[in-house]
Amino acid sequence: MTMRSGITRRRFLQGSSAMVGLTAAGRAPAFAQGSKLHVLRWVDFIPACDVELKKQAGEASKLLGADVQFEFINANDLQPRITASIQSQSGPDIIHMLHNWPHLYENGLLDVSDVAAWQAKDQGGFYAQSETYTKVGGRFMALPHSIVPGLIAYRKSWFDEIGVTTFPKTYDELRAVGTKLKKKGHPYGQTLGHTFGDAPAWAYPLMWNFGGMETDRGGKTAIDSKGSVEAVKFMTAFWKDACDEGGLAWDDTNNNRAFLGGEICATLNGASIYIAAKRGQEKIKDERGEPLVRDIQHARLPAGPAGSWSYHTAFAHGVMKYTKNPKLAKDFLKWFHGQDAFGRWFEVAEGFSVGATKRWERHPLWNTIDEPMKGFRTAPDNSRTMGFAGPPSAKATEVYSKYVIVDMFAKGVQGGSPDEAVKWAAAELKKIYG
Amino acid sequence: MVIEKPWKRWVYFYIPLTVFLIGTLFPFYWMLITAIRPDAELYRSWRAVNNAPFWTLHPTLEHFRDLFEKTTFPHWLWNTFFIAVVSTGISLFCGLLAGYALARLKFPMAGALGTSIFVTYLVPPTLLFIPLADIIRNFQLGNTPWALILTYPTFLIPFCTWLLMGYFKTIPKELEECARIDGATRFGAMVRIIFPIAVPGILSAGIFAFTLSWNEFIYALVFLSSPERKTVPVGVVSEMIRGDIYFWGQLMAGALLGSIPVALVYSFFVEYYVTGLTGSVKG
Amino acid sequence: MKKPIAGGTNGAVVVALPHPGTRRTRRLTRFLESERLLASLLLAPTVVLLGTFIAYPFVSGVWLSLSDTSVGNVGHFVGLKNFAKAWDDSIFQQAFRNTFFYTFWATIFKLALGMWLAMLLNRSFRGKRLVRASMLLPFIIPTVLSTFAWRWMFDPTFSVLNWLLFRTGFIVNKIPFLSDGVYGMWCAIAVNTWRGMPFFAITLLAGLQTINPDLHEAASLDGANGWQRFWHVTWPLLKPVTLVVVVFSIIQTFSDFQLIYVLTGGGPANATHLLATYAYQVGVATGLLGEGAAISLFMLPVLFVVVWVQLRYLRRLEGA
Repeated sequence: MTMRSGITRRRFLQGSSAMVGLTAAGRAPAFAQGSKLHVLRWVDFIPACDVELKKQAGEASKLLGADVQFEFINANDLQPRITASIQSQSGPDIIHMLHNWPHLYENGLLDVSDVAAWQAKDQGGFYAQSETYTKVGGRFMALPHSIVPGLIAYRKSWFDEIGVTTFPKTYDELRAVGTKLKKKGHPYGQTLGHTFGDAPAWAYPLMWNFGGMETDRGGKTAIDSKGSVEAVKFMTAFWKDACDEGGLAWDDTNNNRAFLGGEICATLNGASIYIAAKRGQEKIKDERGEPLVRDIQHARLPAGPAGSWSYHTAFAHGVMKYTKNPKLAKDFLKWFHGQDAFGRWFEVAEGFSVGATKRWERHPLWNTIDEPMKGFRTAPDNSRTMGFAGPPSAKATEVYSKYVIVDMFAKGVQGGSPDEAVKWAAAELKKIYG
Repeated sequence: MVIEKPWKRWVYFYIPLTVFLIGTLFPFYWMLITAIRPDAELYRSWRAVNNAPFWTLHPTLEHFRDLFEKTTFPHWLWNTFFIAVVSTGISLFCGLLAGYALARLKFPMAGALGTSIFVTYLVPPTLLFIPLADIIRNFQLGNTPWALILTYPTFLIPFCTWLLMGYFKTIPKELEECARIDGATRFGAMVRIIFPIAVPGILSAGIFAFTLSWNEFIYALVFLSSPERKTVPVGVVSEMIRGDIYFWGQLMAGALLGSIPVALVYSFFVEYYVTGLTGSVKG
Repeated sequence: MKKPIAGGTNGAVVVALPHPGTRRTRRLTRFLESERLLASLLLAPTVVLLGTFIAYPFVSGVWLSLSDTSVGNVGHFVGLKNFAKAWDDSIFQQAFRNTFFYTFWATIFKLALGMWLAMLLNRSFRGKRLVRASMLLPFIIPTVLSTFAWRWMFDPTFSVLNWLLFRTGFIVNKIPFLSDGVYGMWCAIAVNTWRGMPFFAITLLAGLQTINPDLHEAASLDGANGWQRFWHVTWPLLKPVTLVVVVFSIIQTFSDFQLIYVLTGGGPANATHLLATYAYQVGVATGLLGEGAAISLFMLPVLFVVVWVQLRYLRRLEGA
């Protein structure tokens, strides 16, 4: 850590309330010798973050007098592990929860409302999305940790070449611009495959911004509407005119590679493309031999006729009900989500992950961060939740896990009529929601 | 001897064989090239002018080095080897005894038992592994190699039994009867006469079981969680794909190194393998 | 020292001259003379292992399929509701069709190519052992890893196959290997064939080597050409082996999970899902354990019928 970030961090913390908890007291509570805490998280798209976490594990172990171990697995493998762990009532003590998984796994999780209340108070309140996703029936079943916002990363120089100096503000404009760029060999890149992050982050807002929705406020399926059909119609045309048609087979990594390899002009993603380009400046160059990172800008998703919503992935930590060390787990989370530990991790993330609480918008990191990254600071403010307009219940998670919304667009794009695609999605939703 | 003209030999033999060889081995060549290619070359676009996918001018061993230094790959090799050897041993033991019993002994329900052992082979692992997770937890075997060593025989034993049954059937009954006339016990005859003759079959079943065990993925994925305990397939897949990035260089290096032990086993035993199959096939 | 007994039939009792201190072994060996007891002893380890680790989970799995268990929630008996729901599910129907399609074509290709390769390898030539050993490589390498290599070769952006076809002028646009449902299915079949063909080849080779070359000699003297020799001499003698290999291959291919999971994940848009991968996605990834178990169970009757038919045929062949 450089001198500069060290000073800013101290100044930041001085201005906030005194650090409550174990770090200030400096004493290790009396846990049974040999207590272990196994924390399962995804493999972060920013490798340096996981390095930082391994370091923090050592610190936490000393502070808590127990053996804290992190395990990192692929995000796609998290749900199978959670299922196996809950069913066999054994496994990691704390598991990473994405999206609205706390609603799905409610019966396997411990109530952490007390820690949540503390965190909200300590850090200025949760974002609406983070809170809705972790609060089930009035109780917090997981502790919100962070959000990975998604913005469209694009190649400024290519857009400038065709006279587009600001990023398109509506979907139709995007399609027009994308068509021109595809003709020049630089299509837009979007995945419609079964990915946990990029595909839903595009599909759900596209549906919402044209007026479609999964359910109405009462929880009845409402997807069979003109808005949804318009959205699919747009996607079909957009795909042919402006997109890299290999996107149906892409997973969450293909668009990163395609962008860094100079294949596509823009793509919706978290900040990992920019950060990878920056870290690998020596190796990742554009056609002119310049570091690619200098040509990357970010913009929000365009607006549709019915709004300009986005979808960002919220992350939380859930304490499993079967854990033998509930108090240890909660104490660990209190330290881990506290301003000191979280703050350090946040800095290492360099803007890829933002906090689940609003205070991190004011972190000095944002003052010194590269210009193109500044958009990520307030990105989470226009995110809706899955299951809109109903609650993000376990049924909404089922819809997500079965990729119904994503496949609705995939079907349209593969040659089905928009009406049929929407009708198929409506039938699938009906089976799930009843 | 069937004599054929030279041109026929080329058309009907050498050319097809070469095509088969290329088709079979090209992916391995590709894996090798990827494993020794420096990172900068790995991600060049397919239309780039200087793209040379079939060779590299700057071979590097950095991926292999990273594999050994930055990951717990040696652990995975050992784990996989240990699990494969022990579960093969168990399966051969059970299969040998069961195969003999089903092939040679008369007892009630012989047919039904034989069929039911075979039927267990049909049960899909995707059905079994959540209930198995329960059992593993009850025996407290989670995250230990024993979880796999005890579950792998479930698909290894039926095959071994079946193969050895076929093999035993080809051994003439007279051999045993002579031995017993000479005063050997049934058990003694079995162990001292029949089993040694069946060694090619045993080796054959053993090699096949070893391969299946080395290859297994889904049980290993679910029952093992610590990085040091993982097997090669699970470890390579879960540790080499870190979020956004596939470490293709290391992945391919891991894939190649992960196949070497099995390839070695085969190179010693392939002749036995073929003769073993011949024996059981005759039955 | 043992005395021979005239007319040694099964079940004859062994007479042994008194050995010092071996009363217990004598009684034990006498026990083991009984076929039934020996059989029980020999089969015990197998029965225990398979009983604990297959029979019990199988029953448990069947119970799961008849309940509405989802992760973390206790299930209640719901009869055949999960099966009905699966049957109505369009993704399930796609997966069901895919599984048949995949198994059918992959088996045919593996059989044809395996047979051809076996015949080629049956001849003696220089380097035969090396070639035979290297032919086994696709079978040796863990499926997950080789499938990753194939996935890299089919990659939408960096595919080496596309590059090759482009440079040699065969194509102008990239072939959507894995981004198109139909192409994706054929790619999966190709990878499965690549991986499974060696097993067919080696096993059929073993069978070929049991065929007396004199038979071929005689046939060719009678004026039969290559194809006729194959059809009338080789094939009938190979049928038992072939059937056995085909049965095992069908079982493996029908319940295949790893290949599709790694190559396409069931995509694009569920176009390449097989029953096993779909069951995994529904049961484990989504947490709907009851439904996932039901989908898995659909595989069982089909496999049973296929295998039963083939084994009957095999028994008929052997009897003939």
